[in-house]
Amino acid sequence: MISCADFMADLASYMDGDAAEDIRLQIEAHLAHCQTCQVVLDSTRKTLSVVTESGSFELPEAAFKPVAEKVMAKIRGQR
Amino acid sequence: MSYFRQVDLDVAFPPFATFLEHLGFVPNLFRAQTLLPRLIEAEAGIVDTVIFSTRALSRIQKEQILLALAARNRNTYIATVRYQMLRLLGVPEQTIDQIMDDYRQADLSPADRALVDFTVKLGMRGTSVSWTDVTRLFEYGFDDSSALEAVLVTALGNFLCTLSTGLGAVPDFKPRPLIPSGQWLLPDVEAARDSTGGGAHPRTVERLPDEFAPFAFLRDSFGFVPNIYRAQMLRPDVVAAEAEMIRAVLLPEDLLTRVQKEFILLAVSAANWNTYCVAVHSGVLAVVGVSSVVSDLVATDHRHAALPERDHELLDFALKLIREPEGFGRPNVDALRQYGFSEEQILEAVAMASLANFLNTLQMGLGVTPDFTPRRTFQPPSNKAYLLADVTRPTDESPVVDPDRELVSRVQSGDTDTFEELMNRHSRRVYRTLLGVLGDPEEARDAMQDTFLKAFQHLSGFQGRSSFSTWLVSIASNTGLQRLRERKPAESLDEAGPDSEDGFRPRQVQSWTDNPEQLYSKAEMRALVENGVMRLPAKYRVVLVLRDLEQMSTEETAAALGLGISALKARILRGRLMLREALAPHFAARTKEVTT
Repeated sequence: MISCADFMADLASYMDGDAAEDIRLQIEAHLAHCQTCQVVLDSTRKTLSVVTESGSFELPEAAFKPVAEKVMAKIRGQR
Repeated sequence: MSYFRQVDLDVAFPPFATFLEHLGFVPNLFRAQTLLPRLIEAEAGIVDTVIFSTRALSRIQKEQILLALAARNRNTYIATVRYQMLRLLGVPEQTIDQIMDDYRQADLSPADRALVDFTVKLGMRGTSVSWTDVTRLFEYGFDDSSALEAVLVTALGNFLCTLSTGLGAVPDFKPRPLIPSGQWLLPDVEAARDSTGGGAHPRTVERLPDEFAPFAFLRDSFGFVPNIYRAQMLRPDVVAAEAEMIRAVLLPEDLLTRVQKEFILLAVSAANWNTYCVAVHSGVLAVVGVSSVVSDLVATDHRHAALPERDHELLDFALKLIREPEGFGRPNVDALRQYGFSEEQILEAVAMASLANFLNTLQMGLGVTPDFTPRRTFQPPSNKAYLLADVTRPTDESPVVDPDRELVSRVQSGDTDTFEELMNRHSRRVYRTLLGVLGDPEEARDAMQDTFLKAFQHLSGFQGRSSFSTWLVSIASNTGLQRLRERKPAESLDEAGPDSEDGFRPRQVQSWTDNPEQLYSKAEMRALVENGVMRLPAKYRVVLVLRDLEQMSTEETAAALGLGISALKARILRGRLMLREALAPHFAARTKEVTT
């Protein structure tokens, strides 16, 4: 039976779906009886979806325009 | 004192003054080339920066490497010079004798032993150098600068051995005999299995050709600045000396032609199983109008290429020098003379073959990847002559359909205005990369300009090995890192601390509500995530932004940041777990009613 530390060590592969079959089975066996690791897995998945859907760090058009203009001016000046 | 006529040069000839100052004499190796002083000048420049100038490794460490390598190469000339040098540096003769016979029996410190192990393996069996060998160096306390110097000294050692054999230089001192080679075991060989190729991959510093004259020269000579030079920017003085070597040996057209010399470089590189140098110089030859069919034949079997007979003789000469140095001698030089080559031309051929050996060893030691997609990869066969079956070198990547390819080639062929469209397509990704590295929106916006300008200036060297977008993200990340170092020397993407989860204990263990995104408005959610992400250390922040926000694939992110896949995965998980801790108080099922 694997420990919570083992679970954490294999969590990345497990979440990406590329853990080896025996590892996957061990993780699922562990999850079946460990409430804490269930919470960690579930909330890490939710963290991922929250981040992905948040649309954070958008670049406003108004912020990019002057950058593009400066770059193009310099490039054209070089030619 | 060699196969070549000697002429008197002024005692004030600067390279001779350098040798007199550092060695107390002018070695016959250089006297043998007085017909072509430009060769001596360029070689003295490399010897001066790599051997005489003391930075990371000591002079004794370098001489030990050169002696062990020369002895293994069975090169009496170089072994004799190095033997004398170590004596003059005060190393006991017994130790020097042991290094010469079998350095593994010599009284060396464990660190010096590891250093010589690495360099002998690189020098003798460059294709077998693996990441494990490099890690061993780091375990003994050598850093990136020392690793780079170790590679340089090894490459120079091979250069000097080939040069002295080709010139037939007579030893400057009474030689101590080499023990018969049969008494040695081959270096312990492990096949390199690291798919990124072996090699030290030392940290480097990005410079634009316009800021660094040797890069401008290389760009003008090759059409781009090859990665092999970019990888050595911890030592710009050495890169400058190498550029001078290219200028003095490869470029002149007055004796051998540039194409003849590029052919020597191709044939020697293929004989050394060096995929990188073959790919780069086939690309260079294509630019000067030599078809890839001819380049491939010259690399694999020049006798099948339609060349004049004397060019075949020239290539046979170079290959003999590289493959069978012990069987090389005056008859080989005479054979070329009979085909009408002048002494100066033969000198150039020897210097060119030696330079090819230098570049091949350098590339294998640095582990740089080709600037062009190789059409062919070269691997040693598994036979007795080469004990290293199953060696992986950087190989062809499966062709990626890059949606930007068309726009990129338009800009490359001079349609500057199209660059604006490329900027538009990638502005958000570049911004997010910079923000991930720098952690400051204003500074990230500011660094965008730098990033795009650099991208434009380097675009001629972009060969589509990765997608344009990955390439651009790597420029953005390097630009950000450079700023980060200037601002906060303490923070970098490589800061100490393990990425593994061994020491990471989740603290927030309440369950989360089922639909966290329904608890807050879109704007509130964004603020929560942005705050949480900005508080992460830079190395987790940047991978999280690229992988989870920008949705780049694991492979793309790893390539853009120069990380291995497993290191990257560990960082992503750690970043997600840390962010989870920060967000948990806002999403715990108990703190809010679930509103389904």
